[in-house]
Amino acid sequence: MGTFKRSPRTPLPGATMAVIALIAAACGGSATGSPAVSAAGSASASVSAPSGSPSGSADTGYSGPPASLEYSIWGDPAEIKNQQAVVEAFTAANPTIKVNVTVSDWEPYWDKLQTGLAGGAAPDVFAMDGPLGPDYQTRDVLLDLTPYIQGESYDLGQLDANAVKDFTTADGAQFGLPRDLNVIALYYNKTMFDAASIAYPDGTWDWAKLVEVAKQLTKDTNGDGTPDQWGVYTETTDMENAWSSFVWQAGGDILSADGTKSALDTDQAAQGIQFLQDLIWKDKVSPDPAIFAETGDAFEQGKAAMEINGSWLVATHEAAGLQFGIAPLPKGPASQATSVNPTGAVVYKGTKSPDAAWALVKYLASPVAQEKIMALKASVPVNKQILSTTYASAFDGAQVFADALGYAHLKPSFKGYNDFNTTLQTELDENVFNAPNKTAKEAIAAVNPQLNQILADNQ
Amino acid sequence: MTDDARRPTYGSGWIGLRFSRIRGGRPRGPRAGEEKWAWLFIGPAVVGLVLLSAAPIVATFAISLTHWDLLTAPDPAGFDNYTKLLNDPRFLTAFRNTAFYTIVSVPLGMALSLGLALALNQAISGISWIRTMYFLPIVTSTIAIGLVWSWIYSPSSGLLNQLLGAFGVPPQRWVADPFWAMPAIIGMSVWQGLPANTIIFLAGLQAIPSSYYDAASVDGAGRWARLRYVTLPLLTPSLFFTGLLSLIGSVQVFDQVFVLANPGKPTSATITMVYFIYEAGFRNFKMGYASAASWILFLIVAVLTFIYFRSQNRWVHYQ
Repeated sequence: MGTFKRSPRTPLPGATMAVIALIAAACGGSATGSPAVSAAGSASASVSAPSGSPSGSADTGYSGPPASLEYSIWGDPAEIKNQQAVVEAFTAANPTIKVNVTVSDWEPYWDKLQTGLAGGAAPDVFAMDGPLGPDYQTRDVLLDLTPYIQGESYDLGQLDANAVKDFTTADGAQFGLPRDLNVIALYYNKTMFDAASIAYPDGTWDWAKLVEVAKQLTKDTNGDGTPDQWGVYTETTDMENAWSSFVWQAGGDILSADGTKSALDTDQAAQGIQFLQDLIWKDKVSPDPAIFAETGDAFEQGKAAMEINGSWLVATHEAAGLQFGIAPLPKGPASQATSVNPTGAVVYKGTKSPDAAWALVKYLASPVAQEKIMALKASVPVNKQILSTTYASAFDGAQVFADALGYAHLKPSFKGYNDFNTTLQTELDENVFNAPNKTAKEAIAAVNPQLNQILADNQ
Repeated sequence: MTDDARRPTYGSGWIGLRFSRIRGGRPRGPRAGEEKWAWLFIGPAVVGLVLLSAAPIVATFAISLTHWDLLTAPDPAGFDNYTKLLNDPRFLTAFRNTAFYTIVSVPLGMALSLGLALALNQAISGISWIRTMYFLPIVTSTIAIGLVWSWIYSPSSGLLNQLLGAFGVPPQRWVADPFWAMPAIIGMSVWQGLPANTIIFLAGLQAIPSSYYDAASVDGAGRWARLRYVTLPLLTPSLFFTGLLSLIGSVQVFDQVFVLANPGKPTSATITMVYFIYEAGFRNFKMGYASAASWILFLIVAVLTFIYFRSQNRWVHYQ
């Protein structure tokens, strides 16, 4: 799962609290904070190789001494179960390797990781969010896998090219491999479309068509002045869910080509962000973000006819019992575009078992593991062989995600990403999306110098 | 013994460890042998404080003079972090928000818990059940409380809007509204902090001998006069103590904001200093910057505490 897209509304910041308690205690006085917050939100599960499993598999090629790995991930229970199944298959194929999977919630994951890295006790293999990769790649804590890739003639071409990019530095070092992908598309509620006798969205849609249909499907059935059924729902709190795609569709970009400057101060970029503000505040076909801030996804609750959001929601929407379909995002004034954001597995530089760690990382991207990841329907596989064969029939609409990779833009990924994103998104949330205090152009003008400063500081 | 000798003198010097001497004076109070025992008893706590608080405080100061990303070697930076902080709009916003939170939540919380303590200090049957009910927030985690309060504040279906709606007040967006966000957080914090203060006030109230009230009544003091001239003066040590804890706690407010205000992503209406520190250090790889911010916070707490302690001679009455 990705950055803020599944807005972390039920964090269990156990480790966070522990760390902060230390800082706060050091700041002079007994904190009167919550005594009951313990190290919640973390768990550990051991997956060891079943004894007497059949011969070691040739496709991982691990022939070293017995090794023991710690593999750290974040995720929800379903995802964790899935990763553990993948790891069990790995240890079955490699009986000399033991893997201990440790899981955390999103926030404490990074706290623990950073303190672990700083203290020289990081997990051997850990999950990495694409945009945050460069912050670790540039700090000499990850193992460069290039020697393994060259030594085994491992073909990086078998993986989605955009996804590989996030784990490759400008100098050509390969820090980890992508594991799965998050892609944005348009979900639609078939029941609501049928009830209104409107044709389902398809690849011919553009922005105007989206607004037109969304207006038809926004309905105030009880006459209280607030719609009970919204035309289109999305999340505004991160660029990935919707607005970065709009920027690309309008012909703009987030960063300049060389990555040193913000590219948001163009009319095209402003037009993309403005489109999202207009959906909420001008056309009023999308709910004020505050309305669903506490209760979550309006589409999942059957209160929105369409949703612009990520591939990670397929299983959730199925579980909610919705009759839904998936279509490509509508085309913008300039082009068709969407966002892709990979999650990968990277290796700690200080690992005692680099060979075994590489075997695991490689296995996670292999077709056999990718099929397991695919079965969960929560992530798009990264391995082209699976993408072009079995994935299309995994569920109705999978083909849309697979095709979208052809025109998807990689979610921006650079050193200082979190600082940049927080500064930018705070301004947009407060003045553009949560309340139309400023136009997109005005908000960008207000925040752009700070963004460029952050980029300069991180060069 | 004179009155003077029995009066505890902690606080007349610096905050802490002064058992027997007031500044420049001759030895008073407990005898030297007793002092040794006192040190023995607080020894474990002192060792803990030195290792777990004093040492990190010193280390944090050293780190605050560097640019350090936690993972690679630090670069010396002089006071660069401090100058940058004072010009960082997000830090200044965090400072303003924290100040607002403190100024509102401390007096409000204390007044409410004092009222609650007075109400609970009644000899009626079943009072211990009633007290237990009021003390529940203290054993509930901030996470659980935050979740429940986020439902209360929900703009679409929240209890608060429904309640106000019954009186014709239009629905508010509470946490999502920059104007109401901090008051909403203060509301939750005050509620959450009530029992801790109330317990201390209750203990203080029950330590007041009933003979004082009897004497006051004989002198013709009514209900209000007894509260004003007997209860409140004798409760000032409890007021002083809870005031101090509330002050320090509220300057360090973090978890309420973390769980309630758009979880993990407070806006500029709700970001507080400790959240700023967390964000700079653990999200943006700026440990030196975060350390400098910690030191500014530390100095603020130290100065406030010092002023507060100096004030106690003027208004705190020990029996």
